[in-house]
Amino acid sequence: MAIRLLVVDDEEDFLRSIVMRIELRGIEAHGVTSGTAALEYLKANPDMVDVVLLDIKMPGMDGLETLRRIKTFCPSLETIVVTGHASQEFSRLGRELGAFDYLIKPIRLDTILERIQAAYRDRQTTSAE
Amino acid sequence: MTLTGLAATLIPLYVIGAAIYVYFASTLEQNQRAQLYNLALNRSNAMQLFLAERTSMLEVLAHTASLGGLTSPGELKKVLTILNEHQHSFIDLGIIDARGDHVAYEGAYPLEEHNYGGEPWFEETMQRGVHISDVFLGFRGVPHFVIAVRREDQPQPWILRATIDSEVFTRLVRSGQIGLTGNAYIVNRSGQFQTPPRFGGNILDQASFSPNIAPPGVSVVSRADPSAGRLMTAFAWMTSKDWLLVIDRDPSEPAAPLRNTLRIELIVLVIASLLVGGAVVFHTRQLVARLASEDRNRVATEAQLAHSARLVSVGRMAAGVAHEINNPLAAIGELAGLMEDLMDDTYLASSTHAELFHENVRKIQLHVDRTRDITHRLLGFARRMEPRQDSVNVNDVAIEALSFIDSEASFRGVALVQQLDPDLPLIKSDRAQLQQVVLNLVNNALDAASEEGRIIVSTRSEPNAVIITVEDNGSGIPLELQSQIFDPFFTTKAPGEGSGLGLSICHTIMKGLGGALTFDSAPGSGTVFSVRLPRTQE
Repeated sequence: MAIRLLVVDDEEDFLRSIVMRIELRGIEAHGVTSGTAALEYLKANPDMVDVVLLDIKMPGMDGLETLRRIKTFCPSLETIVVTGHASQEFSRLGRELGAFDYLIKPIRLDTILERIQAAYRDRQTTSAE
Repeated sequence: MTLTGLAATLIPLYVIGAAIYVYFASTLEQNQRAQLYNLALNRSNAMQLFLAERTSMLEVLAHTASLGGLTSPGELKKVLTILNEHQHSFIDLGIIDARGDHVAYEGAYPLEEHNYGGEPWFEETMQRGVHISDVFLGFRGVPHFVIAVRREDQPQPWILRATIDSEVFTRLVRSGQIGLTGNAYIVNRSGQFQTPPRFGGNILDQASFSPNIAPPGVSVVSRADPSAGRLMTAFAWMTSKDWLLVIDRDPSEPAAPLRNTLRIELIVLVIASLLVGGAVVFHTRQLVARLASEDRNRVATEAQLAHSARLVSVGRMAAGVAHEINNPLAAIGELAGLMEDLMDDTYLASSTHAELFHENVRKIQLHVDRTRDITHRLLGFARRMEPRQDSVNVNDVAIEALSFIDSEASFRGVALVQQLDPDLPLIKSDRAQLQQVVLNLVNNALDAASEEGRIIVSTRSEPNAVIITVEDNGSGIPLELQSQIFDPFFTTKAPGEGSGLGLSICHTIMKGLGGALTFDSAPGSGTVFSVRLPRTQE
């Protein structure tokens, strides 16, 4: 079964391109442009997402808040936080909120795929336990 | 500073030296006066005793022997020999009848035929019964004095008269001379020397002063003599004869020990002055060097603060730029990547330019990679400038900051007071940056505190924060300046003494640490700066 990925980023060019590229590599990817939309999608499609690729800097609800809320109703969902702004503070907060990893844009696609695979494996292991 | 220090230490030393000298001189003069007084009293008693003894001997003789017996041949000679057996003070003896005729005489001078009737001493003896004369030359032309006693006899009174050896008397008087300049002599009521003085005249000359200056009894005066200069003189009036014993002394002679004392004291003062002066100069230089060193440290600290602040600013700017670039760069990279993904073999064969497009898309991705490396390096630099997350005991930071200004505060008489909450929790913060802030605040407080003022550094905790306050009792911040004190380059210090960056940097650092720097100032009564740090869990 293919990995199911939700990509959350307000940068539409980036979002559209990366969703298509990831899908070309056999991962079921869906893109939304805000934290609110991500929460709605996840609530509307329970258990339909394995990994979330989540941008931190977004207008309205930012990535960290989105992450915190996701974890309230779906704690096993693995999330990789992504930002153009490298900050130890973001990294620390992301980990504290339960993010699987923290990546800095621009990211090589193979790196993104490798981290998605790792997150998925981690989720599988956790679910099996 | 050196001159003030020297004056402050040497003037008391000299005052003490002068006081010791004056006290010593005064004590010496008192001793000298007491010594002269006792000597004069003692010598005048001895001389009065001498006169009283001789007078008594003559009175005993006159009243126990008969005129016939004394005038018989050889009798007077026998008596004179007996009188002089122990002390040769009698030169001759004579018996004079009521008319003044020498009826018997024993002595070295041919006086048997002399008649003394009408001479003042004869008249006085006949009237009063006893007479001690002043020294005079008389018939014999040699200075002498006589003691005469009257015997009331029948049919007529007669007189026993003895001449006293002036030399014996003079020796007695001269035993009162002290040292090399001491002078002792007797003058009569009219000021004639009755014994030869050591200096300043001969026997029977007129003394240079009137005896009337001498008060009754024994006294010591300081007087000016025309030939001897300044003299300290003891006067003693005798009770049995109106003679005045005079003992002079040059006051400078007994002052020789005083001069020695003065010399020793001067040597001690010079040595002490050199030692004290040396110590003052040495310590003043040390103090100046220490102040200069502290100034340099402060300048260096401020420079370091400014440098840190610049780095933080550059880091922030770099991070901001990197973030702004990274997002579009990521979009470019993914757009180009998607284009490459979609360029399959069919597409590449469809157009003569397809291969060029493919090549360009790959190059775009290569340049995105290059740019990403640059922005990631910038972000790495910015990350290094970010506050560290140490486990910080805020009390330790306060104590360390105070220790930096401890010596300068004690030099300026400013009291440093710590009011630290012993139960303060540890917080997560950047210890070095926090220390820069507190150090800057206590430095400012020291500049603001008045002389003999005080600085209070206190800590306390609130549910969500730990707070450090630095309070001075200086003149406060004028109301019109309060809105500017966190502005860069704003300073109230003299040109060259403050960069105006300190508080601005502190403000920036505190924002970076997630805290706040505030102040409360009442012009005239001081300022309190409060550093508020978020209380994070370990």
